[in-house]
Amino acid sequence: MIPFILRRLISVSVTFVIVSILIFAMMHSIPGGPFDAGDMPLPPEVRATLNERYGLDQSLFTQYINYMSGVLRFDFGIPFQSPGETVLELLGRAWVPSLVLGGLGVLIGTPLGILLGIAAALRRNTWVDYLASAVATLGLTIPVFVTSMILILVFAVWLDWVPASGWGSPDKWILPIVAYATIPMATYARYTRSAMLDTLNKPFVTVLRAKGLSETRIIYQHVLRNSAIPMVTVFLPMFIGTATGSIFVEAIFRVPGLGAYFVSSIRTRDYPLEMALMLMLTVMFCLAYLISDILYAWLNPRIRAGGRKG
Amino acid sequence: MSASPVTPLVDIRDLSVSFPQHDGVVQAVRGVTLHVDTGESLGIVGESGSGKSVSCMAVLRLLRSPPARIEATALSLGGVDMIAADKRQIADMRGRVAAMIFQDPMTAFDPVFTIGQQIVETIRVHRAVSKAEARSEAQALLTRVEIRNPASILDSFPHQLSGGMLQRSMIAMALSCRPQILFADEPTTALDVTVQAQILQLIKQLQAEFGMGLVMVTHDLGVVAETVDRVVVMYGGKVMEQAPVQDIFDTPAHPYTRALLASMPGQGGGRQRLTEIPGASPNPANPPTGCPFHPRCTVADTRCTAAMPPLQGNGLDRQAACWRLT
Amino acid sequence: MTAALELRGLCKSYPLREPGGWLPRYRQLPVVRDVDLTVERNSIVGLVGESGSGKTTTGMMALRLTQPTAGSVFVGGVDITSMDAAALKPFRARMQVVFQDSYSALDPMFTLAQIVAEPLHIHGLGTTREQTKTALDWLERVGLHRSYGSRYPHELSGGQRQRVAIARALVLRPDVLIADEPTSALDVSVKAQIINLLQDLQAEMGLSILFISHDLSVVRSLTDKVAVMFNGRIVEEAATEDIFTSAQHPYTRSLLQAIPVLNPRDRKDRVFRSREELEADIPRLSAADTGLTPADVPRLIPHGPGHRFEAIVQ
Repeated sequence: MIPFILRRLISVSVTFVIVSILIFAMMHSIPGGPFDAGDMPLPPEVRATLNERYGLDQSLFTQYINYMSGVLRFDFGIPFQSPGETVLELLGRAWVPSLVLGGLGVLIGTPLGILLGIAAALRRNTWVDYLASAVATLGLTIPVFVTSMILILVFAVWLDWVPASGWGSPDKWILPIVAYATIPMATYARYTRSAMLDTLNKPFVTVLRAKGLSETRIIYQHVLRNSAIPMVTVFLPMFIGTATGSIFVEAIFRVPGLGAYFVSSIRTRDYPLEMALMLMLTVMFCLAYLISDILYAWLNPRIRAGGRKG
Repeated sequence: MSASPVTPLVDIRDLSVSFPQHDGVVQAVRGVTLHVDTGESLGIVGESGSGKSVSCMAVLRLLRSPPARIEATALSLGGVDMIAADKRQIADMRGRVAAMIFQDPMTAFDPVFTIGQQIVETIRVHRAVSKAEARSEAQALLTRVEIRNPASILDSFPHQLSGGMLQRSMIAMALSCRPQILFADEPTTALDVTVQAQILQLIKQLQAEFGMGLVMVTHDLGVVAETVDRVVVMYGGKVMEQAPVQDIFDTPAHPYTRALLASMPGQGGGRQRLTEIPGASPNPANPPTGCPFHPRCTVADTRCTAAMPPLQGNGLDRQAACWRLT
Repeated sequence: MTAALELRGLCKSYPLREPGGWLPRYRQLPVVRDVDLTVERNSIVGLVGESGSGKTTTGMMALRLTQPTAGSVFVGGVDITSMDAAALKPFRARMQVVFQDSYSALDPMFTLAQIVAEPLHIHGLGTTREQTKTALDWLERVGLHRSYGSRYPHELSGGQRQRVAIARALVLRPDVLIADEPTSALDVSVKAQIINLLQDLQAEMGLSILFISHDLSVVRSLTDKVAVMFNGRIVEEAATEDIFTSAQHPYTRSLLQAIPVLNPRDRKDRVFRSREELEADIPRLSAADTGLTPADVPRLIPHGPGHRFEAIVQ
């Protein structure tokens, strides 16, 4: 197991380097620099001075090496659009709302989705199944900004139960969390339903019945265990994807999270911030998949216990 | 003064099982009557689509109904009416009174639990026994089915074992609650020849030792010749013939039985053309009228297309359903 | 007369990764070891064994569907072992195969006529119309009505599909047909039909068939000669009836005694031996008796006409 993990960590590092080069290249391939456009066009001399100060007049290669050597020391530079703080400080500040709202959304949506999926699988082709499948399909097909606006309209405007937007007091969190929760809920509802139906059709389930086990025991002891392994491994990547903030949800609910920066950093050519965001995502996804793979290997007896004995 | 009739261990009378499909109804079993007495071994011989497996699954109520429709004048197991029984009673009968082993041992076990855990589970579902006791019973059972390293097998996962080992484990699991009858649905079809012979011999020995009834469902007449006392021949969802095993081989009455025996390969004498049965098995969704075998029967006449012949006995222990025999 | 198919010293090993460790380490797992087998023209040879014996792998090597690790394959006297794809193509037309699972052997998107005509199409034989006609002729030849040409595989029963597979295999009039368990998945009443069909076609076409099977009863009724494989090697080979009446090797005997009886009165209790025991029980013969040179390794030694089995000569 250890050599497996170490081999994977090495491959993560290689991925990291390759991705960093690709991002850097793509970033700089967009014409224009951070100080070119804007409401107040700067005189050329000022621009040149600024470019020189931020090292933007050097060759791309030099800029890359400089930035990455900083990265190795956890120094991600200073964001052009917010020079009063470092990139790390900005990320630290902006990530909190995204993590709280997105994270809670996933943590609430996932169990709800699983329960919905179990109900649908056990009551196949009844109204429960159709309702659950409808909810799941809607959750996946309706774009999250539409869901968000509907939530605001219904719960904040018409019913006036919760505030429409903002960040600060927990009652402002409710609607964004619900919006975030729809996707994991829908995904897990569909996934759980099909995984369970798949397992229920397997021959060993008939054998379990022939042994005299009650249907309840068969479902909760055997079928769920068999369906769970792939579901567990899908969780982490989904969490990462949601907990880094959706630009739509954050824009609509006016949450000062990370989402907006993903797009704004590209638009404003905020190279340090852009690089930091991309690298952060890369590392987190790589680690998420690595942990998922380890979890899968550990949970799956075929891998954990080894091969043929007799 | 006549003795009161002993209730058979398995009593099936006029059983019909059908499955509605989107484009019609599949009639898997159409009016089957058979029985198994205590301690007796019965072989049910038939091809795929003959209804032999479905009949056994129906007795143990292992068919999801709905969608399956199960109707019978009598369907009893150990004296209990399996149609009227509720879920709890049925679960109680399964494994304890009647056990079943299946064709493919590789897919019969839950892949995420060890063999030991699954045998122990069977024991503890039916009897109040501690885990440790159940485990030692499981180990003894594995030894009884001729597994040489039972302790290691108890802690193995299904994917780590060969087909033969898994089938033996499945037999051990089925016998763990000392059932009165064992249903074996093609238990050796997926196994090598030598393993098959060992498993059949093992089943026969265990049946005698435990005093169980045995229902051996198979398509292979050789298996039946090896293991059972009495044979029921099924075709197209119905019983064609029923007789003691020696009689079936020496003096088969029904044209289908005779054709089956004649088409068995390996009867010696070198390379030869076999006596084949023309045509193909009937489609359960659209069976022939009258006797299901008539399209392929060499001696069929007009009566055979018109109506299904009744199962008629010779007054003793043989029955056949054929117009040509009346 | 050159044999239709000859296998000489065929070996196949697969690399198995050793678990653990930093850099990958492999060891070779031999699956087929030193197989010599000849299929004469106009004959049916049975290759018998249980799972793990290597019989299917041997068949695949004969067809060059798997590359042998060592040894040679001769078709009509020509060594095809290392031929490249272009040189091999005409030989592929001379060797065809029928597999066990007729369902997955036929492409469900094609009609039966298209399926049977496909080999003709691949080898560029005849116009499309001629190809279709030949295909329909062959469907009739294997016992299906010409009208079946426009049907699809899923509309047929197992036995019918296997007939189509046979028609497709024979449409190019090959010299050799390799049949890998063609009757194992079929109903009892249909097995006999397919066996008879193969016999009839073989006699009509002078075909050579290598019939791979674990079902000894079928092999007894169908083949002229049988080779028994165990753990990757041939352990006995003889004319079919000789194998069944005077088998010499312990493994062959254990295989024969495992065949279910044909009549209940012949029931007997059997004693079984494990594979390890059988492996260790190699017959030992003295050099003096056999007149052969002694050697420490087991090898195939002759015993009567066309009969040989594996033994150690001491």
